[in-house]
Amino acid sequence: MKISLKWLKEFVNLDGIEPEVLASKLTFAGVEVESIDKLASGTNLVIGKILTCVPHPDSDHLHILNVDEGQKYGVHQIVCGAPNARVGLNVIVAREGAVLPCVTIEKGVIRGVESDGMCCSLLELGVDKKFLSEKQVAGIEELPEDAPVGEEDVLGYLGLDDVILDLSLLANRPDMYAMQNVAMEVGALLEREVKLPEYKEYSTGKSDFVVTSLTDKCKLFGGREIRNVVTKPSPKWMSDILTSMGVRSINNVVDIGNFVMLLTGQPINMYDADKLLGRTLEVREDFEGEYVAMDEQSYTLAKGDLVVSSNEVPMCLAGIMTSKACAVTEETKNVIIEAANFFGASIRRTSNRLGLASDSSSRFVKGLNAEQNEKVLRICSALMVELADAKEVLSCDTYDELPHEKKIIKTSLAYINGRLGTNFSKEEVVSTLTRDHIVVKELEDGAFECEVPYYRIDMGGEADISEEVIRLLGYENITSKLPEGGHKGGYSEAQKNKIAIRRFLRNEGLTEVLTYSLVDLKKKDAFEYIAHGENYRLINPLTDDKEYMRKNILASLLETAAYNYAHQNKDVAIYEISDVDAKGLEGRHLGIVLVGEESLAGKLERRTYDFYSVKGYLEGIFSLLNLNPQRFRLEKLKSDKEEFHPYRSAMIYAGKDPIAVLGELHPNKAKELGFGKAPVVALELNLVALLDMKTSEKKASVPPKFPTVTRDLAFVVSRSEDYMNIKREIMRIDRMIVDVDIFDSYQGVGIPSDKKSIALSLSFRLEDRTLKDEEVSAIMEKVTGMIKMKFNAEVRG
Amino acid sequence: MEPKEQVEALENKAMEDLNDVNDQDALMNFRNTYLAKKSELSALMGKMKDIPAELRGAFGKIVNDTRAKIEAAFNAKKEAIERKAMELKLKAEEIDLTLPGRTHQAGAVNPCWVIVDEMMDIFAGMGFDIVEGRDVETDHFNFELLNVPKDHPARDMQDTFYIDDSLLLRTQTSAAQAHYMLSKGGKEPIKMICPGKCFRRDDDDATHSHQFGQIEGLVVDKNISLADLKGTLELFVKKMFGEKREIRLRSSFFPFTEPSVEVDVSCAKCGGKGCNICKGTGWIEILGAGEVHPNVLRMCGYDPEVYSGFAFGVGIERLAMLRYGIDDIRRIYANDIRFLKDFSEK
Repeated sequence: MKISLKWLKEFVNLDGIEPEVLASKLTFAGVEVESIDKLASGTNLVIGKILTCVPHPDSDHLHILNVDEGQKYGVHQIVCGAPNARVGLNVIVAREGAVLPCVTIEKGVIRGVESDGMCCSLLELGVDKKFLSEKQVAGIEELPEDAPVGEEDVLGYLGLDDVILDLSLLANRPDMYAMQNVAMEVGALLEREVKLPEYKEYSTGKSDFVVTSLTDKCKLFGGREIRNVVTKPSPKWMSDILTSMGVRSINNVVDIGNFVMLLTGQPINMYDADKLLGRTLEVREDFEGEYVAMDEQSYTLAKGDLVVSSNEVPMCLAGIMTSKACAVTEETKNVIIEAANFFGASIRRTSNRLGLASDSSSRFVKGLNAEQNEKVLRICSALMVELADAKEVLSCDTYDELPHEKKIIKTSLAYINGRLGTNFSKEEVVSTLTRDHIVVKELEDGAFECEVPYYRIDMGGEADISEEVIRLLGYENITSKLPEGGHKGGYSEAQKNKIAIRRFLRNEGLTEVLTYSLVDLKKKDAFEYIAHGENYRLINPLTDDKEYMRKNILASLLETAAYNYAHQNKDVAIYEISDVDAKGLEGRHLGIVLVGEESLAGKLERRTYDFYSVKGYLEGIFSLLNLNPQRFRLEKLKSDKEEFHPYRSAMIYAGKDPIAVLGELHPNKAKELGFGKAPVVALELNLVALLDMKTSEKKASVPPKFPTVTRDLAFVVSRSEDYMNIKREIMRIDRMIVDVDIFDSYQGVGIPSDKKSIALSLSFRLEDRTLKDEEVSAIMEKVTGMIKMKFNAEVRG
Repeated sequence: MEPKEQVEALENKAMEDLNDVNDQDALMNFRNTYLAKKSELSALMGKMKDIPAELRGAFGKIVNDTRAKIEAAFNAKKEAIERKAMELKLKAEEIDLTLPGRTHQAGAVNPCWVIVDEMMDIFAGMGFDIVEGRDVETDHFNFELLNVPKDHPARDMQDTFYIDDSLLLRTQTSAAQAHYMLSKGGKEPIKMICPGKCFRRDDDDATHSHQFGQIEGLVVDKNISLADLKGTLELFVKKMFGEKREIRLRSSFFPFTEPSVEVDVSCAKCGGKGCNICKGTGWIEILGAGEVHPNVLRMCGYDPEVYSGFAFGVGIERLAMLRYGIDDIRRIYANDIRFLKDFSEK
């Protein structure tokens, strides 16, 4: 909303108030001023008259002028390029030293001819092009014949000496789309009196014209019939106000509608009464079909769109745009004025669907006060009589289904101070509310009754009254304190564990990323191993690639890794913790993706990422959370999806439930995702399940009293035998075996291709005495025998 | 030669020979020659029986003294040779000290997480619970309970991602407020923050993102006023942005708070004088806040006649962009490691 300070001054005395000060007061009170702009600007201006005009000898379009700049400045020679420069024309002269929005004027020589000053167009003074005619844009401004030559207050003479506040309004102040309410607000802020203009009632009787509504989306519809208007240009004061407020002046009749809307906030629609199909206008929402609006475009209307119809033919897309058929024109004689209250949400939906909005529709969308209909119609009629020579004003019966109750809010000093944390006195509060145009009636015990001005449709309860007090008195009046009460707060165990996991992974060199939760069709079911369910699908996605909520996160992480791989990062180690959602699923997953090599010491020592890299992180997390690894079961991943390498991928189960999938990517998948032949390893872990697992209490352990004996055992077995299985079998042989560790695993040269060589270190110990060598040897023999029998092993050395 | 002269001669010769000893082998030879059982000195000791009994004691002392002298000289030489050998060995083991050490360089963190983690630490330290809501919400929790009426523009398909008539992607972390309040049954005091992802139907550009992070804060108790809000946010701002930072409140509007305020923090770069970061105002808008609307309390089970509260909401990306001078929000979600590497946390 643009506010003309010049117009505002007609209602509130702004003497001694700089625009910046006013803007700051408004902003802090919740009416943000986005910018302060001059309508036009220029120094060293004077009105001049062209005395002579001859073509420049050295140019095909320049003229050499002698311009009379009045008694004070005399006659100056100016070289001018405007096509409309001619003898006798009164012009705006920017004299030497003049500062215009885009240029500073200096004395100079143009193609050998001295030039002292410049004749200006309004464009050069900074007036927006939309207010200017083509002629005004193409040449210098042509001032009237009676323009006072020598006048230095040129902007004042032109009515362009205005400062505009551009308001950026929040949803709670739709009243600020009316100049009269802005004046009230400014009066409250400056503690100055507000004088709104009075308009005479010209209505001489009732019209037989019927205005009505067939829908509850319009509960108030008032109208006037204005007869025998004369269309002509608006008076200068009105067109100046419209220009300042950012509206282009058309003619007196159209301008009156806009002027009343700017003043009161109530959109006005006008119909050419003689072009309507009957003597009624009714609001309905059941029309379907084509509609040609004033902009000559055709729109397809649907049920739910509010229209104002005459004889079942839509005459106006309610609140948005009149039809071409009945819009007022220069020839219009008789006018029906409409001031109605249409349901904002309906207007908004229609406006959004058709991509058609106007100053009027935006006011309905934001919300209108419905208590000023008669007044608005009176103002409009008065201006029609005074500015458009209307001969007769007749009032239609207003359709009105609204309750029109006074808004009275009961509150108390204690409530206000309690809510604000302030210590305002009763007098301060009452005087503040009073200057805010709230009528305060004091009751007993510090209670008040507040009658709220009708235009403040945002106010509904006593909390609103407390806000009025503090926004006018200023938030700096609040003395800070901290909430009392001993709420302990802090992180939960699960949150601490999550923090620990993230810290662990970062210390391992992984980078934590943040990716979008919405994915495309292709990614929605990708890497679906640990969480299942039907994806949530948006009914109104912005783009195809963000249509589904993800239920697993590896696809997104792989995409991020591939982006980096394609952007000069051949080695990538990233992770993310994210919520995942699907029907019946509220999960939280950790995803890890590793590409290329891990750096152990710069480029000096490097290790290619493989299955064991992610397995190591998983084991690290188990250990970090004090979860016994034996609670988890590893199984080969069985899948025909060609996402993971079939022999280098696994699922981890806790009981029956899969809690993690990990492995190297299938070479075809890695290639498809853009990784070429680089090794790619990934892990996805159900964090909710993991963080929910009970951890065993930690107890201090006593170091063993008796020594541990170790023996090594090397053998060759089939490649398909698992280490873990062999270990488990060995551990079962005797209780003296307290641990089995693998220290070598080899397959390659020297070993048959279907075999592998394994070297184990066995630890023996008893808690109550030192072991004898023979005892250990005897067990070792059993072990050797068992692995030969059970695993068909060939024991070496 | 008298035995005594023989001892002296031997000593002189030994000392001369020791001078030429320069390595372990020569050292061993010397020892065999002069100090071993079969050495000349031992042989001289053997001649004791040829010496008159009254002189034996003196002679024995001379021999032993000489032996001690030679031994001491030998030991000194031995130590010198060993030290030299060790020096040579160590020199041969010299390494390039400037090569990189063997460690994992700590990984980086997306700047949004830096902000979230810092804020969580600050508020956890101030006694706030950390509550995590869900990204998929019902319109009842996301709008209705937060005093956003049915026909509010924010509820249009134009602005909010819908899954069906009632399910949507939350547009604000405030949705978690309502869940939390209802879970407390309208009795217990509440002091919580809720970090989380939010979604709005905005086209992604330099300043808009269809997904973004927020941290919501809520305190509900008897007698919680705007003064508590101001004090809490002041403390937060000083911890987050530095001791010298001040805040100011401007009147604003949100459906779920009344009064509502925007909170500005004094510009860290210019200290309030005005610069390009704060667009010359000396202040930077960082969050929205207010006293919880009585309707919200009532709908969430708290009697507004008894309880009051304040709430605030901070945009994560905005803080990250301000702090690190990030010019385009899309950079945050591109996760280019060359960009992320500058952000880390302990």
